[in-house]
Amino acid sequence: MNYFKHKKNKGYRFPSQQITETLSKLPNIPINLDLNQNIELLKSAYTDCSDVVFREFTIGARTKAALIYIDGLSNTQEIDQQVLMPLVQLESFDPGTSIENVSKKLAVSDVLVIHTITDVIKQISIGNPVILINNKIKGISIGLPKWEKRGIEDPVAESVIRGPREGFVETLRVNTSLLRRKIRHPALKMKQMTIGKFTETQVIIAYIDGIASNTLIKEVTNRLERIEIDGILESGYIEEMIEDDPFSPFPQVLSTERPDVAASSLLEGRVVILIDGTPFTLIAPCTFASLLQAPEDYYNRFLISTFIRWLRYLFFFIALLAPSAYVAILTYHQEMVPASLLLTIAQSREQIPFPALIEAFIMEITFEALREAGIRLPKQVGAAVSIVGALVIGQAATTAGLVSSAMVMVVAITGVASFLLPRYAAGIAIRMLRFPIMILSGILGLLGVMLGIIAIVVHLCTIRSFGVPYLNSMAPLKIHNLKDVLIRAPWWAMNTLPESSSTELGNLHRQPHDQKPDPSKGGD
Amino acid sequence: MMDFFRRRKNKYISLVLLLCLIILLLAGCWDRTEVNDLAIILATGVDISKNKEIELSVQVFIPKPAEGGQQGGVSSGSTSSQTLVRSAEGVTIADAMSRLQEKLTRRIFWGQNEVLIIGEKLAKKGIGDQIDFWMGHTDPRERADVFVSMDSAKEVLESMPELERDAAKQLSKLVDSQIGVKVTVKDLSEMLTGDSSAAVIPWVAKMSPSNLEVNEGKNIPFIKGSAVLKGDKMVGRLSDKESRGILWPRNEMKSGIITISLKDEKGFVSLNLLRSHNQLIPKISNGNWSIMVKTDTDLEVIQNTTNLNLLNLKSSKKVKRMVVQEIEERERLTLSKARKKMNADIFGFAGAFHRDYPGTWKRKKNEWSEIFRKVDVTFDTKVNIRRTGLSNEKAKKGGGE
Repeated sequence: MNYFKHKKNKGYRFPSQQITETLSKLPNIPINLDLNQNIELLKSAYTDCSDVVFREFTIGARTKAALIYIDGLSNTQEIDQQVLMPLVQLESFDPGTSIENVSKKLAVSDVLVIHTITDVIKQISIGNPVILINNKIKGISIGLPKWEKRGIEDPVAESVIRGPREGFVETLRVNTSLLRRKIRHPALKMKQMTIGKFTETQVIIAYIDGIASNTLIKEVTNRLERIEIDGILESGYIEEMIEDDPFSPFPQVLSTERPDVAASSLLEGRVVILIDGTPFTLIAPCTFASLLQAPEDYYNRFLISTFIRWLRYLFFFIALLAPSAYVAILTYHQEMVPASLLLTIAQSREQIPFPALIEAFIMEITFEALREAGIRLPKQVGAAVSIVGALVIGQAATTAGLVSSAMVMVVAITGVASFLLPRYAAGIAIRMLRFPIMILSGILGLLGVMLGIIAIVVHLCTIRSFGVPYLNSMAPLKIHNLKDVLIRAPWWAMNTLPESSSTELGNLHRQPHDQKPDPSKGGD
Repeated sequence: MMDFFRRRKNKYISLVLLLCLIILLLAGCWDRTEVNDLAIILATGVDISKNKEIELSVQVFIPKPAEGGQQGGVSSGSTSSQTLVRSAEGVTIADAMSRLQEKLTRRIFWGQNEVLIIGEKLAKKGIGDQIDFWMGHTDPRERADVFVSMDSAKEVLESMPELERDAAKQLSKLVDSQIGVKVTVKDLSEMLTGDSSAAVIPWVAKMSPSNLEVNEGKNIPFIKGSAVLKGDKMVGRLSDKESRGILWPRNEMKSGIITISLKDEKGFVSLNLLRSHNQLIPKISNGNWSIMVKTDTDLEVIQNTTNLNLLNLKSSKKVKRMVVQEIEERERLTLSKARKKMNADIFGFAGAFHRDYPGTWKRKKNEWSEIFRKVDVTFDTKVNIRRTGLSNEKAKKGGGE
């Protein structure tokens, strides 16, 4: 692993220097008294940028001023009515009026006084038009951004039967408003920062002050500040830059496009990272147990949720182990199969030309390919793929004598099982790990399967997510934390927060005890 | 994993682990066998051949692919059998096994062998070596059911029952119904090496074709009583009724129906066995060896053709007395046969004495064969009728009105 480290250290500085050179052309100088010079400077920065508009006008007939904005990012209608109209129609304008006083005349709620050319560029790029006035060393940024937004829709990747149907969108402000609408308390903090030299992506660290531990907030902030990258186009960029073990197949940062999931994570003392331009927000820390918790678990009644959770645990193992167990038992441990079942399998396998391992590989890879094809293809073609896929995996493969019907059954169950995992990232990890275990089982039988499981468990024990052991509440075992792992405790018993998030603050109580509904409590 | 390596910062550890992984690849797959390459043995028969050698016969499953590919699972009335029988001779079973392999293209797979049939001739000669080998060999199941057959074992294997898939299934299903004795290789080995060194094994006979209205040559094997072994040799047989008598003292009675008739009443009462617990209580006083067979059973009445009202305490007692008599009679019948004709301690009295009087047992162990004939056996049977049902006198009269 030293190899990777060295390479990274040596190769890292070189391109980063190049990029800073390009950026250093942008002047970080204060706004000049002379308006023309300012405009020249900005125009040189925005050479060949057809979407930047410089609108020069006069205030009170004599004082020259300029409005600068990027077409398509700002609300021009509002600017015309609330900014240009009052200023242009001003009968007289005292050149000595301070810029603050000018801004008070504008009928716009969000107004900011800025001092440097860099600030001007920053404000323009996020859609705030800037007004520069001759003989003033300050400018006014007007908060009137407007661009096309997608409406709030049902989150596609995490749909529920019962639960809110709204999902995050690509616009950061909309996303923060969705969170704020769920948690109204001022303790919900949203720290903002900008990452990405070119994209200048806005990133917000959200947490609830007093629940999330300070070390966690500090750690998340530190890791985000450490990122030096040219652009962030999706939360995946950030996820890879801040996770603890980049080589692990398991996700160490959760991602969700559901505001309710983000809100519940905040209430548990986790930190949510919202990124502009993507509906997927990041949640840290993430534990193994949280990969198997679906949002709906908390909306259904607890008995049903517990049952479904157990079903999910069972199918987690099936998704991971079913093909390898089948291969191992059929090639090494035939005596383990009940006699009549073995005879049936022997019958169906009689004409199959491949060993069980190859057979399993063919089917599993076909299935994975079909699944992938189904995601990529447009919806109209998707139906065709699923029909062909059903034929390939099902009847045709058996009739053609390529795979046995028992194998089809195993692959089908494995496929269904892998879709039972509520977190897509976890599902992919399991699907990927299936293949090495299958090879192990083909080489060593059940011994190989056991070796594979041991390797995975050892690995899971070693990794952490933002200082929290990945298997937290199972290893190290914390029995009261199992209330949300082994079962889904009813809400009236979910009295303490999970320990993972609030390590330094101890086990926080989220509600008073003894809230179990009971006729003796009166009121009826 | 990566984290693990990095934390140690030790190249050598990762190198050694990598080498270990490569070793796994080198060793891989050598004992891999696909199901397609196996000759799955369903049942085994051991006989003595004409040349006085061991003749090992096996019933091999023919994995014919399901016909037509569609709904193949049930082959409707196909006349062709799904199994074939091969046999080989050898000086020992191991020898015969290796000869048998020469006759089969696929590797013989003993792991699913559920039935072991021993021919009568071999059983009379002694089966100690065979059972010993069977227990010691790693492949065959120790839980395979053991039978002694009247005809040669090979013939039984070749027979074709109609309802079941093959003879092996027929036999193992018959003993699973728990009406007679069920003996596995492990049980047999335990019985033969135990204190009493006697065993009972289900006895397989052919049901004659004329009785069953089936074609000639389609003999169907049935269980008819049991064979009694002393030492490792067969010494005699018990009939069906006598075999059932063994089950009580051995605490193996699990189900059955007892039908009794009363002296002063017309008709019968049939009772179904619900539970039965049996115990052997040995006693040695003044050199007199005695044993009490204690039985505690729960029964329910399932049919009553007499005029007795069983809800009545008096008649209920009457029935109980008769049931006790019936059970004890069965036990006595078997016991007298085992003692007088075969002198084989198939009830496991020896074990009971050993447990309760280890000191005495050690001294008298060698005389057990003599002592067994003289042991004073008493019976203490307790019968509880749990349910009488509605089959009483009133119901019958009601029907006449």
